[in-house]
Amino acid sequence: MTTTTKRPRGARTKLRRRVAGLLALGFGLLSAGMLFAAFAPQAQTAQAQQQDALVRQGEQIYLNTCMSCHGKSLEGVEGRGPSLVGVGDAAVYFQTSSGRMPLARQEAQGIRKPAKLSPEQINALMAYITANGGEGPKKPSESGEALRGDNPARGGELFRLNCASCHNFTGRGGALSSGKFAPALDGVSEEQIYTAMLSGPQNMPKFGERQLTPEEKKDIIAYVKSVTDGNNNSGGNPLGGFGPVSEGLIAFIVGIAALIGVTLWIGAKA
Amino acid sequence: MSGDKPTDLPSEAELAEMSRDDLVRLGTKMDGVELVHYEEKFPVAGTRAERRAQRSVALWFLLSALSGVAFLGVFLFWPYQYEAPHTERHLLHLLYNPLIGLFLGLSVLALGIGALLYTKKFLPDELAVQQRHDGPSPQVDRATLVAELADAGQRSGIGRRNLIKRTAGLGAGVLGLGIAVVPLGALVRNPHSDSETKNSLWHTSWKPEKPGEKVYLRRHTGNFHEVSLVRPEDVEPGGFETVFPFRESERNDEHALVAALKRSDAPVMLIRMRPNQAIVKRAGQEDFNYGDLYAYSKVCTHLGCPTSLFEQQTGLLLCPCHQSQFDVFEYAKPRFGPATRPLPQLPITVDEDGYLVARSDFIEAVGPAFWERKS
Repeated sequence: MTTTTKRPRGARTKLRRRVAGLLALGFGLLSAGMLFAAFAPQAQTAQAQQQDALVRQGEQIYLNTCMSCHGKSLEGVEGRGPSLVGVGDAAVYFQTSSGRMPLARQEAQGIRKPAKLSPEQINALMAYITANGGEGPKKPSESGEALRGDNPARGGELFRLNCASCHNFTGRGGALSSGKFAPALDGVSEEQIYTAMLSGPQNMPKFGERQLTPEEKKDIIAYVKSVTDGNNNSGGNPLGGFGPVSEGLIAFIVGIAALIGVTLWIGAKA
Repeated sequence: MSGDKPTDLPSEAELAEMSRDDLVRLGTKMDGVELVHYEEKFPVAGTRAERRAQRSVALWFLLSALSGVAFLGVFLFWPYQYEAPHTERHLLHLLYNPLIGLFLGLSVLALGIGALLYTKKFLPDELAVQQRHDGPSPQVDRATLVAELADAGQRSGIGRRNLIKRTAGLGAGVLGLGIAVVPLGALVRNPHSDSETKNSLWHTSWKPEKPGEKVYLRRHTGNFHEVSLVRPEDVEPGGFETVFPFRESERNDEHALVAALKRSDAPVMLIRMRPNQAIVKRAGQEDFNYGDLYAYSKVCTHLGCPTSLFEQQTGLLLCPCHQSQFDVFEYAKPRFGPATRPLPQLPITVDEDGYLVARSDFIEAVGPAFWERKS
């Protein structure tokens, strides 16, 4: 008796367990699938669509403003402009945001001027160049003051070692060969300094992230920002910021004039 | 002036009678000086004009004292630490130097002006005339002077005391020789006698100090004590980096780590050419590069300035001192300017851990020419 009564109860519990297991599995699969459907694919398509739109907009800008010198498919045109394959969006950002590109005319080197492209257009162009020219040095995601490191002293040491030979000790710039020059660093934004170091525009050497780490680059930016834009002006007039040449000349002229004046006063009859 | 002394000297009784004023005039007269005009600025003491003059002088001295105190105050208590721009305390930092200069300068200047004003306002007006003779001194003065000098020399007896003369000469001679040896000795010494060490002009600190010692390429990170070794992939195509020698024996030696970065023959430019760049190598140095990486001495072969203005597209290295240009696409050969020799190339390779190392020292002396150098 006990066995007969136990058996169906045991079979029923087994069945119940099986059904419950199946239900749980089904529910789990269903909810996982729903979650997956709810988030992942939709987000991906949305981003991809957005990206596609950006690239298409960038393509329009490229065809209108860049193609005549850089070629139809970024391959460059002999004697006009270099290939843009693999330059990365850092180079695109630096060249267009500083107004160097589009170039006004072919000359020794492009010069800084008000940007012709708007920030949105620059973003689109960056997306287009990366999509068609492959990955290259990337513009950092931070911007503005976030790119200033907290150790301008170390930045100064690194600046004097890597940058000062061309850009002068306080970023005044200087001459290079055959009409080329290293520009002064006044009014250059943090992003532009960073992307210039990354991409090595024109004749500037490249300073990759393994050579100068992002922290070191940020310290250099902090240093540059602390000595440019009139910040290195303790005496009231930087006299060009070239150091002993202009300062010595002015000190000599003013000092000698003052000494002559005092001498005349001492010698004058009361 | 033996001839024009006043003959009418006062007697002792007359001298006792004379006032100080008369004595002064007599004294200057005896020296052949005539006081034509000699007048007090304020003959009557305590006038209003005198008090005003006194005040104006005192005011300058007072100003000097005040700015002296201000200088001390700024020097001791003003915050002197660097404050970055865009911070509130930046202005305080900016003012530190100008204020110190202003107050110290004003203190010294006001003291000087006060002293000058005193002489101008209070010292008497004086106009004096002194009689001078024309031409040389009279014959009698010259003859007697010569006789006096010759007499002194003869009477000292040094001319005939030979022992004294010779020992004094010996002492002074040895001392003089010692003084001359110090500056001249450096010219006599041969600085190239030991031409095999890294301290000679022929070698640099890239030379291994013992056989088989590995000399790594080390970058300067702004921290003199940090050892950051260079791998080939660290330098981007079209990039360049200044590197210095590092050997394992220096690792925990702070002084050696600093000295390695400061030696004038040490800096080497590690340049990575862009892919597909056509390179002309120097005969006999075809294997000195490692792939696209080329290492050249940074010391200009003209006068030793750092040739670190690198144009990555034209491949030119410029020297800022005399505008020499070196072409890194053609074994750093001079293209323009006064330099005549290419920059020496450092032979490099990669060790088993992937770090760049120097295969040996430069095969020629770096930097400007010197006497013993034949090429």
